[in-house]
Amino acid sequence: MKNKSYARKKKITNIAITCVTLLVMLVFCFPIVLAILTSLKTEPEIAKSVLALPSSPHWQNYADAMEKSGFSRSLVNSCIVTFPSVVLIVLCSAMGGYAIARGSSDRRVFRYLDRFYLASLMIPFQILMIPVYKVFKSLNLQNNLFGMILMLTGMSIAYATFLFVGFVKSVPRELEEAALIDGCGPYRTFFRIVFPLLKPITATVAALHVMWLWNDFNVALILLQKEEVRTLTVKQFYFFGQYTANYGMAFAASILCMMPVILFFIGAQKYLIEGISAGAVKS
Amino acid sequence: MRKKKFSSLRTSKYVFALPGFCFFAFAILIPFLMGVNIAFTDWNGITKDYNYVGFKNFIDMFQDKRILQPMRNTLIFALLGVTGNNIIALSCALLVNQKSSKLGSVAKVIFFMPVCFSAILSSFLWGFIYREVFSQLFAIKNLLGNKSLVIPAITAIGLWNSCGINMLIYLSGLKSIPTDLYEAATVDGATAVQKFFRVTLPLLMPSFSVCVTLTLTSWLREFAMTLASTGGGPGGASRTISIYIYENLYKYSKAGYGQAVSLLFALFLILIGNVVSTFFRKREVEL
Repeated sequence: MKNKSYARKKKITNIAITCVTLLVMLVFCFPIVLAILTSLKTEPEIAKSVLALPSSPHWQNYADAMEKSGFSRSLVNSCIVTFPSVVLIVLCSAMGGYAIARGSSDRRVFRYLDRFYLASLMIPFQILMIPVYKVFKSLNLQNNLFGMILMLTGMSIAYATFLFVGFVKSVPRELEEAALIDGCGPYRTFFRIVFPLLKPITATVAALHVMWLWNDFNVALILLQKEEVRTLTVKQFYFFGQYTANYGMAFAASILCMMPVILFFIGAQKYLIEGISAGAVKS
Repeated sequence: MRKKKFSSLRTSKYVFALPGFCFFAFAILIPFLMGVNIAFTDWNGITKDYNYVGFKNFIDMFQDKRILQPMRNTLIFALLGVTGNNIIALSCALLVNQKSSKLGSVAKVIFFMPVCFSAILSSFLWGFIYREVFSQLFAIKNLLGNKSLVIPAITAIGLWNSCGINMLIYLSGLKSIPTDLYEAATVDGATAVQKFFRVTLPLLMPSFSVCVTLTLTSWLREFAMTLASTGGGPGGASRTISIYIYENLYKYSKAGYGQAVSLLFALFLILIGNVVSTFFRKREVEL
């Protein structure tokens, strides 16, 4: 008897937990679903009721958004900025992380470099905002995608290196020692033997940085002032400010911006979640 | 011959570390040192020449009445953000952890998805919800235009956008708690609430120290979300320190002064980050 009521109680709690989970999921999804719905409605439909389903999908919004927003240009800019930066970050920080992890036992310089990188993580961007503006202005790198790549890479190096250092320390030395004894030079050893072993952390670092750099707003706002070099986030910032009257089109545009992010998320979800669960989070 | 090889192995380490350091120096180190220099000048952000004014910028800051409201706002943002974020993230983690079946993993992905959207996109989506949906459904006027409710409203956007990260950290903390502790507690007759406060919470302290420090420093820096949703308005009711620094550069042409503010702000952030993380570190229990 007692056992039965216990089982029943457990079942009820289970159902309650499922309901609560579903409810919270609904809250998290709501803005995205709303955006999709609104992007398919005409202006009068939106004014009448924001939650009602569209009578028939109004694809014209998407055509308008493509035409008027000029998002295709900023999409290209975002790609130009993000992907080379991520490649540079992964390469430089893998090499740097390897050097620090292997060199810090007998060379003090590398130990200091490690601590130096760690300390720099505490620096907020606000303190760099004004001097970066000044440096880039005097070097004529403002409104220049190449300058943007330099800046984004430099800002991410410290953290990515920190992640690599932790991983390289867990990779056994024997393999590279064997390669060195066989007469393989240090550079070939790194690229042929060590770098392939770093694949898991490389995937995590790359996935996290694609996400962070793609969504970067602070640097882009300071450096990219001209229309033709704006990346997607800055473009959105000015675009949404302008077109708040035409919701259908603005939402179609926002869905178009979300598409690459969602596609990327579906593909890289595993690495992102793994990386963050392992404590790979920047302040 | 042997010696030569050894030395090239040694130099190779420097060669490996060099490119990363060059990027780092260019983007962080040099601007940082320049920033310290700028803080002692009256540079306006536009002209080439400027004068050194000593500690004038720092003294001005203590007499500046306009800085008080951004300071207050930043602290309120941080307080609301940190408590909200950690409570919601922990509850989501507990929910996901309960359901180890399919629903749990789907829920995990859904809770994490908003993290991938930029602050700009999130504030646009929520701006629409605040402006149109709330007024049509509950006849509430736009919260972003309300002086006393604008900060909680922006905080809600930020929570939607950032809870997923802490949820994952808490989740991996929960997964690392050995189940035999719960079994022992059940045998001893502990209720679910007691189990949560006596077993789960103390063992989650390492996750707490990471999450609270992270959220605190990131909410104190709050910039993009606020700039995109209200631009600091209405009437400066949501202007944070970060926005104030930005405005000193672009609006008021007082780059030197803005830099002095940001220098002290950075010192404050580093100090508070260290204090908070040592506070939680001391309360961590060893298994």
